[in-house]
Amino acid sequence: MARMKFLCDTERCIECNGCVTACKNEHQVPWGVNRRRVVTIDDGEPGERSISVACMHCSDAPCAAVCPVDCFYTTEEGVVLHDKDICIGCGYCFYACPFGAPQYPQSGLFGSRGKMDKCTFCAGGPEPDHSLEEVEKYGRNRLAEGKLPLCAEVCATKALLAGDGDKVADIYRERVTRREGRPNTWGWNTAYKD
Amino acid sequence: MTPRDCMNKICYGILIAMPLLLSGCYESPDVTFHEPGVYKGKIDKHELSQDERNEVLRKRIMAVQTDR
Repeated sequence: MARMKFLCDTERCIECNGCVTACKNEHQVPWGVNRRRVVTIDDGEPGERSISVACMHCSDAPCAAVCPVDCFYTTEEGVVLHDKDICIGCGYCFYACPFGAPQYPQSGLFGSRGKMDKCTFCAGGPEPDHSLEEVEKYGRNRLAEGKLPLCAEVCATKALLAGDGDKVADIYRERVTRREGRPNTWGWNTAYKD
Repeated sequence: MTPRDCMNKICYGILIAMPLLLSGCYESPDVTFHEPGVYKGKIDKHELSQDERNEVLRKRIMAVQTDR
């Protein structure tokens, strides 16, 4: 069974923010919400690296574990989605997520939160495929059209990979073999370098 | 109007108001119990079967995600 995954090759990411722009435009993401962001480590210093981050569609998603109204579900492709009709905007998933993926549009005065919004892996939501409701609540459903997430498809350097985890791993493994070494963007030497 | 008539009107008023006020204290015995950790939302249905979707997406990743 295919399990959809994202992988960002930090050796290739040039911080162009094309993925961020493509996502916002494709899904008409509300103002103040970024489903995808590019994070730069050691900005302006030698060894600077950028990584594009969004919901990683965890196999054992902590957001789903803490949701008090159980609005999360995992599709057969391993994509973690949620039902906005059930979400109460409590913010628990935001605190549970290690990637900061769940975000909330401001819905009223005094900073009151609306329904949670996050990356859908371009798979829409529980509404019928291609319905107006689905587009308005979750954005376009590209997976139902036989396409992969736009952020990955528009990536000019093909740093951002999206698709079946096995295929993504194959592509990345081939690159690492060709480069003769793994990137040292993360690992013990990066986490405890001081 | 005598004080007695006035008292009677107040009593009738209280008799009418009390059931209305007490009806607000009614609690429905039909409570919906949910199992924790079980998805409560709508079912996500797809036009294509799982195998068909996997095949389409496999072709797509080979077409657009591999190196040029």
